[in-house]
Amino acid sequence: MFDTIDFLNYLVNGSLVGLLYALIAMGFIVIYRASKVFNFAQGELVVFGGFIVWWMVIQTGLPLFVALPLAMAVSAIFGLIIERIFFSRLVGESSFAMVMVTIGLLILIRGLILLIFGPQVRPFPIIFALKPVIIGDILIPRSLLIGAVITVIVGLGLSWFFNNTRAGLKMTAVAEDHQVALSMGISVKRSIAFAWALGAVLSTLGAIIYLSGKSLNFLASDIGLSALPVALLAGFESIAGVLLAGLIVGAVQGLVTAYVDPVVGGAVGSVFPFVIMLVILFIRPTGMFGWRTIERV
Amino acid sequence: MKSRLSKWIAGAAAAAVVALALPASAQTTYNIASIADFTGPYADIMKDLVGARRAAVDWWNDEIGKGMGIKVGIKDYDGRYDAAQTASLWPGIKAELNPVAVLGVGGPDVAALQGRLPADKVPMFMSTAAYGFAWKPDPWIFNPRPTYGHEAAAFFEWFRSTRGIKGPLKVAIISSEASPAYVDIAKGAEKFAKDNPDKAEIVETIYTEVQPTDLTTQIGRVIRKGAQVIDIQTNTAAVVATKRALQALGKTDIAIMMSSHNGLIASGKAIGGMKDLEGDYEVYGMAVPTDEKTKAHDFQQMVVAKYKAQVTWSVASVMGFNQTLVALRAIEAAARKVGADKVTGEAVRTALMATQLPSDQTFGILPNLTYTNDAPFPVTGLTVNVATIKDGKYVIAAENVPVPAITKW
Repeated sequence: MFDTIDFLNYLVNGSLVGLLYALIAMGFIVIYRASKVFNFAQGELVVFGGFIVWWMVIQTGLPLFVALPLAMAVSAIFGLIIERIFFSRLVGESSFAMVMVTIGLLILIRGLILLIFGPQVRPFPIIFALKPVIIGDILIPRSLLIGAVITVIVGLGLSWFFNNTRAGLKMTAVAEDHQVALSMGISVKRSIAFAWALGAVLSTLGAIIYLSGKSLNFLASDIGLSALPVALLAGFESIAGVLLAGLIVGAVQGLVTAYVDPVVGGAVGSVFPFVIMLVILFIRPTGMFGWRTIERV
Repeated sequence: MKSRLSKWIAGAAAAAVVALALPASAQTTYNIASIADFTGPYADIMKDLVGARRAAVDWWNDEIGKGMGIKVGIKDYDGRYDAAQTASLWPGIKAELNPVAVLGVGGPDVAALQGRLPADKVPMFMSTAAYGFAWKPDPWIFNPRPTYGHEAAAFFEWFRSTRGIKGPLKVAIISSEASPAYVDIAKGAEKFAKDNPDKAEIVETIYTEVQPTDLTTQIGRVIRKGAQVIDIQTNTAAVVATKRALQALGKTDIAIMMSSHNGLIASGKAIGGMKDLEGDYEVYGMAVPTDEKTKAHDFQQMVVAKYKAQVTWSVASVMGFNQTLVALRAIEAAARKVGADKVTGEAVRTALMATQLPSDQTFGILPNLTYTNDAPFPVTGLTVNVATIKDGKYVIAAENVPVPAITKW
């Protein structure tokens, strides 16, 4: 029998999970806009950020208000190092070469995490209180709710930055065409470096929301894959669009998980976002808000 | 003079050759392939599991093999808990080691090799509970424990009688489609409940990611459905997410039941302390590695002291010991039957089928085992042990709990 309260719970919870995916997807988009690189290692950046937070809070005992900004700073530096070592040398090279490098990066970061932090499952600190927010009969996980607010603020802030500030507009020019940007005196390398630093920071922010109070090992990188359909639905250039795409994917996934999974006895919910992804690739490869480019030959 | 010297040198050389050849002919070496997971989801428990395998082999070579003229060699391979990886490794393993036995980690190894081992005539020994998808006659893969469904069912019966629950025990299952083995585990418990509606009722099976985002809504739903126990036989991340959801909802009196690979100690470390798991349980058909003095614990301490084994007393080491001891005892039985220099994989399998393995032979790590052609695990006489956290301490809650029958699913 259909229960309205259950339906609303699934819808709200799914939407909030979708906004978490949107935050991770922003990392994809920021890096893609600047460097035209689809970063397959985005999930590994989430895990790296998670381990930095774990190390600072649990291992060194730093208070959260010190550890979290410090972890963001370390992540930004890590992003810059990745850009300096791997991608600054690839400006002008084919997208295929860059994508292959991100696959190599995925393996490298995973190996480094295993080497430095070990394979053990670690307790991630409780950043947001466990007690859910209860509105009437609707139960909202607090970490996801706060995460959703942060995601919306970050999404709108980044959208404003890219469309209204000089630095953001320079990055948008870089996103359109590296050669044209260079001819206008814009430093492509600097834009790409900034994008990688920002992508790494967004991943760490995602890790904080995703893992608060839970456990951490390298398998947490799977969330990078879950965020992929959101980035594709939005289109790889639209920061604000990713918020809407996140809500759509999350809500649909939540409802499918609740109503279809029990009927078929399986996880259709976890597969469904990828079905959406394939449909988008067939019908509208640029996504809902992606740039449509016209090439004149 | 020169001729006498030559004869002397020739004689000495011949004697040296004979001396070198004698031990070689007196001792035959057989190999075991040790499939591990150093870079996959169970990498965190591999140190103890692989350490226990090596320790058991060292002990057997010294105490049993030497007397029989047999030496067992063991080599590790990283299967990454990935069926494709194990399948791709197998031809190389065969060519390199020509093993008489394989030690597997979990479901992916079973899925990868169950079709190949009968043709290659090499038996594989597991440490885990068995799987429904591999529950077939004429097995070449052997589990010392029944299926996860059987182990869960034994717990349901025990919990129900211990708590004096009159109707069926209401159970929620947390599973994942990340691995076919996880799905199979859930199906086993569901089958028991379906066949025994008076004993257990599955209120819902929740399929989630291996690292769940948040389970508060789902756990809230199963609480509303009256769940008394939450069955999680997948991984520690699922246990932590479930426990956090229960804490968030203020329902810490609902017990979580875990298995060996995601048990109380591992999940306690992952959540940040054992106190969070007070009143929760782990259940499996092998020794529980508490601090108490048992035969199994004595064996672990002996191999550490005598063979400098790098192995702590943990669930992972119990798993490593259990599968290796069964494999070694089967090799031993095969050697007695066909001769120390004629042991093959097929002979090892035949010997295992023809031999009863009393608990004593595994130092109490396993119950008495009798394999038949009906299933990859002993179908009768199996028991499980239950552990819990009581007053912050890891203790045995029940021993030798009988395993109920479940029909195949």
